Amino acid sequence: MLDTLLFLIADGVTNGAVYGLLALSLIVIYTVTRVVNIAQGEYVTLGALSFASALSGTFSVLSAIVAGGLAAFALKDIADRHLTGAMRIRIVLSRALWIFIVLATAWLANLLPGSYWLAVLASLVAIASLGALIYRLTVEPVSGASPIVLLIVSVGVYMVLHGTAVLIWGAEPRSVPPVVEGGVQLGPVFVTYQSLWICGASLVAMIALYLFSERTLTGQALQATAVNRTGAQLCGIPVGVAGQLSFAIGAGFSALSGLLLAPLITANYDMGLPIGLKGFVAAALGGIVEYPTALVGVLLVGLTESFSAYQVSAYRDVVVYLMVIPILLWRNAVRPPETHGN
Amino acid sequence: MPDLCISGLNVGYGRATVIESLDLDVKSGELVTVLGANGAGKSTLLNGIMGLRPPRAGSVTLDGVDLAGLRPEQLVARGVVLVPERRELFGSLPVEVNLRLGGYRTGAPAKSLERIYGLFPILAERRRQKAATLSGGEQQMLAVGRALMAEPRLLMLDEPSIGLAPLIVQEILRVIGQLKSEGLTIILVEQNARLALSVADRGYVLEVGRIVLEGSSAELSADPRLSQAYLGGAADYAAARDQVYVD
Repeated sequence: MLDTLLFLIADGVTNGAVYGLLALSLIVIYTVTRVVNIAQGEYVTLGALSFASALSGTFSVLSAIVAGGLAAFALKDIADRHLTGAMRIRIVLSRALWIFIVLATAWLANLLPGSYWLAVLASLVAIASLGALIYRLTVEPVSGASPIVLLIVSVGVYMVLHGTAVLIWGAEPRSVPPVVEGGVQLGPVFVTYQSLWICGASLVAMIALYLFSERTLTGQALQATAVNRTGAQLCGIPVGVAGQLSFAIGAGFSALSGLLLAPLITANYDMGLPIGLKGFVAAALGGIVEYPTALVGVLLVGLTESFSAYQVSAYRDVVVYLMVIPILLWRNAVRPPETHGN
Repeated sequence: MPDLCISGLNVGYGRATVIESLDLDVKSGELVTVLGANGAGKSTLLNGIMGLRPPRAGSVTLDGVDLAGLRPEQLVARGVVLVPERRELFGSLPVEVNLRLGGYRTGAPAKSLERIYGLFPILAERRRQKAATLSGGEQQMLAVGRALMAEPRLLMLDEPSIGLAPLIVQEILRVIGQLKSEGLTIILVEQNARLALSVADRGYVLEVGRIVLEGSSAELSADPRLSQAYLGGAADYAAARDQVYVD
């Protein structure tokens, strides 16, 4: 009995660590851009699948698409008639470097198949850049729109990314190797090394995001944009760049969770949506704005899932999604929605 | 060569036009005030210049360079900085972070920060406090300090005296005077005419989106139309209050 309990807790914490990365992604994106990102789970899928490609030494088509998109926006930026010569040169150089990094990591992973960390780097760079690209393509043109419009836009993005994943990788699931095979006996419970990697990576990512937000001017600018968009603009903070950065961080974190989770469930085009939605349930506990509350949320969701999988396995997702109702009622009771944000 | 030159400016919200074919210029190093009652369009004018409310027609040039169509952050990069009426501070962030963010474009060097703390010593004492916990006057000082961190060439202040105690207003006025003596070009928007004219070189009077009067501070102070509208008559109470501010 105790063994089962401990096993379920270990399983729940691993799930929670995955949803934690998703919840962070959702919060970063929502606070900075007001987008409730339904498409968040797709970055999990794309992260896992492009990682599988990179690892097997296949050049990821996605990297090429991302590089092309970046080049297109670079041309648009350079065409801005207000730019001075020096600004134009800076844009050309920075965009060229960005495109180079996307292509070079993909190409290197292609040259050295089986190199685990190179494949991780290549897929993270590709998916984070894709996030920035999606922001420019779909959010920036309507950045003043109401949250409901932004939400509908993200549903559209979900459909396109979902289809893109099927188009590039097909419907066949791909098995992905773990960082390290095997596991360790912790008292009565056997924990795979991959679970420990997931928890560790999640923790490191959270600490890194915290330090970035608190200690760097760019991170503070991201917070400032979240707190007061007009104020940020008046400080000369390019809020469009802040939006791109938030999408890049969100996409990168989600891709990381995808490629770490893939060895436990196999990578396939359909893996993302439920993970994204569970991350959302957890983030909802903190109103998609409070990081600490969301972390309580992810443990709650992770544990609920593992326990309900044990008790009523057919309904495990139902139980988790149902949690959103009491969570929203509770949020509404403690803090009415209109006091969020500013 | 005027520093800032505005001609035929139109700014509006939805179907309403608030600022209509407005001409205004500010020479380099000048402190120009724009006076007007509530709803005259003073804030809309500044928001129009700043790109927060993109103008529908007309031109705004700074040293001959067209500013039309620029986003606020691009204007800040060109040295045009606004202290908005609502201050728009980052309430949940510490005072020092607010200031550093004001210098986002320049990397917020320590010597800029020291300069602001020199101008407003109270901000140095409060540097670790969240901006939302400051008093109204301190928040206004923070807003001005944050704007100065961007190293402006043209500073626009939207009713910095609003809702503040006379002593605080004096403090802010002292800093505005100091900035002017350092050669900064300033547009000061005010309802409080006597206060603004006491520091300004020239002034414009705005009524329902149009300039109805302009002249040097001395001319405007002596103009019976202005004193009727803003300095005396029906506005006895305001005048009495202004007396306290100025004297």
